Amino acid sequence: MSAASVSVPEDSVAAVAAAPRGRDEGARLGFRLTLPAQVLVLFIAAFPLLMQLYISVTDWGPLGGTGWWSAWRLWNNFANYTDLAADMRFWHALGRTGLVMLICVPAEFLLGLALATLFTGDFPGKRLFYSILLMPMMVVPAVAGYMFFMLFQSGGPVNDILSKFVGHPVTIAWLSDPNLALIAVMIADIWQWTPLMFLILLAGMVGVPEDQMKAATLLGANAWQRFTTIVLPKMKAIIIIALAIRVIENFKIFDTLYIMTGGGPGVATETISVYIYKVTTQDLIWGYVAAIALAILIVLSIVAVFAMKRMVASREVRA
Amino acid sequence: MKRSIPFEFFRYAAIAVALAITLIPILWMISMAFKPIGEWSVVGANLTWWPKHPTLSNFRFLFGHSDSSLIVALDRTAVRPIVSSLLSSIFGTAIAMSAGTAAAYGLSRFGSGQNLPLALIQLRLFPPMAVMIPVMIMWAFLNFTDTWWGLALIYGIVTLPFAFWLMKTFFDDMPREIEEAALVEGCSRWRVFTRVTLPMMRAPLASAALFVFILNWSDYLIALLLTTRQWVTIPVYMASLSSSMTGQLYGAKAALGLIAAVPPVIMGIAIQRYLVRGLTFGALKQ
Repeated sequence: MSAASVSVPEDSVAAVAAAPRGRDEGARLGFRLTLPAQVLVLFIAAFPLLMQLYISVTDWGPLGGTGWWSAWRLWNNFANYTDLAADMRFWHALGRTGLVMLICVPAEFLLGLALATLFTGDFPGKRLFYSILLMPMMVVPAVAGYMFFMLFQSGGPVNDILSKFVGHPVTIAWLSDPNLALIAVMIADIWQWTPLMFLILLAGMVGVPEDQMKAATLLGANAWQRFTTIVLPKMKAIIIIALAIRVIENFKIFDTLYIMTGGGPGVATETISVYIYKVTTQDLIWGYVAAIALAILIVLSIVAVFAMKRMVASREVRA
Repeated sequence: MKRSIPFEFFRYAAIAVALAITLIPILWMISMAFKPIGEWSVVGANLTWWPKHPTLSNFRFLFGHSDSSLIVALDRTAVRPIVSSLLSSIFGTAIAMSAGTAAAYGLSRFGSGQNLPLALIQLRLFPPMAVMIPVMIMWAFLNFTDTWWGLALIYGIVTLPFAFWLMKTFFDDMPREIEEAALVEGCSRWRVFTRVTLPMMRAPLASAALFVFILNWSDYLIALLLTTRQWVTIPVYMASLSSSMTGQLYGAKAALGLIAAVPPVIMGIAIQRYLVRGLTFGALKQ
C-alpha cells in the first residue's frame, strides 16, 4: 500500500461506495451477517410461540405418554383460559409481584439517586468506593439469595445486630413468617439492584453541564432548587430508562427469592415466576402453564407497545 | 464547586453506611466459607462474626475430601458443576458474540436486519419462565436436556440482545475512514470486516464478551429447568447441598458461593467503563 493511494479524495471514496457493484456486495454481506441472529430469534420466538399456543388449548403434560404434536387429542375447549381467570393463586402471585415491584423499584431508585448525588464532584477515595458499591449487582443472584438466606436465619447476623441495638436477644424467624419473609426478599432485591440505579443515574449526572450549575449558584439558587430545575429535567430520559429496566427485570424476580424462601412459607412469597415454576415442575400440567405464560406474554406485549408509543410521542413533542 | 466541611463530613458518613451495608452480606459469606462446622450453625448468643479457627475444610469437602467432623460424604463433588458452568457459559458467550457481532456489523454498515434491534429488546422483556415450556419440549426432542451444549445454545440466545446492542454501539462509534480506505485498496467487504474492523475492535470485543459471560455465569433458572443431574451448574448444585443428617451445609455452600461469586465480580470491575452502555442497551454511554 503506497502513501499516495491512501489519500484518495473524498468524492472518489463515495463513488466507490455508491457504485452498484459495491452496494450489491454490501447488501449481500449484510444479509449474510445478520442471518445467524435472525435464525436464532426465529428459533426462540416464532416456533416456540406457535407450539405454546397449540399446547395451551389442551390438557397436555410431559408424563401423559403422548408426544406434544398429538396434543390435539387432549383438546379441552379453552378450559385452561377459563380456569386461569378463576385461579386465585395466579392472581395473588401477580398481585404479590406487583407489590414487590411497587416497593423495590422506587426504593432502589431513591437510594441510587441519593448515592449518585453524594458521588458528584471529586473527593479522595471516590474510585475505590464506587467499585465497592457496584459489587452487589455482579454477585450471581442465586449466591446473593444464599447470602441473605444465611443473614436472615433466626440465629443469624441480622438478629444479632438487632439484639445489640435493643439490648436483649432477638430471635425473629424472618423466613418462616409470611409477612417478614416478603420483606426479607425485598431487602435482598434492593441490596442487589440499588447499585444498578446508582451506576446509571451517576452516569446521567455526569452529563449535567457544570457551567449551568455555577450560573444558578451565582443567581442564588440553593442546592435543592439546582437539583429540581437543572439536574432532574436533564436526567428525565435517563431516569425513565433506569426505571424501565428495573421494572422489567423486577417482574421476572426468581433466583434470589427462590433460594431464600422457595416461594414460602406457604405461598407467602410466591411471585409469578415462582408460581409458573411450581406448576411446571410439580403439577406437570404443561397445557395450563402454556396458557398462563401466553397470557403474560400478551399483556406484556400490550404494555410494551403502549409504552413505546408514549415514548415516541414524548420525543416528538420535544423535537 | 467548593463544598463546605459539614457537607464533606455528611458525604463520608453516608458513604460509610452504604459501604457497610454493601459489604456485610459479602463478608459474612466469606467468613462462613472459612468456618469449621462447629461455628456454622448458631443457637443463641454464640454467633461468631469472624472464624475463630479458620479452616479450608469446606473447600476440601467440596472437592471430595471427607472431613472427620463432617460425617456426610458428597455423592458428587463440585468439580463437574464447575466444569458445566464454565463450558456452558463460555460456549454460550461464543454463540451470542459471534451472531451478535456479525448482525451488529450488518446493521451498522449495510442497514440489514432492521427488525433486529426491537425484536431483541422484546426477547429481553419476557420473563424466561414464560417461554420455557416450548424450550423444554424442544430441548427434550433434540436430546439437549441435561447437556452443557444444550445450555450453551439457550444461553447464547438469551444473551444475544446484549451482545448485539453492545457491539452495535461500538460499530456506530467507530470512524469509517479506515474501512473506506481499505475498500478503495480493492479489499472485499468481507475482508475489510475480518481483517480491518475486527482487529481494530479487539478491546471492545473483549469487554462485550466479558459482559455476556457474566450474564451467562449468573443464570440459575434456566439451568434449573434444563439440567437434572449430569451437567447441573454451580448455582443448581449449590442449592442442592444439604443433607438429611446435618441439614444445610452452610460452610460448604458459602465456599461454593465464594467460588461462583469471585470471577464475575473481578470481570465486572475490569469492564466498569462499559457496564452502563451494556445494561441500558446502548441508550446511555459513559
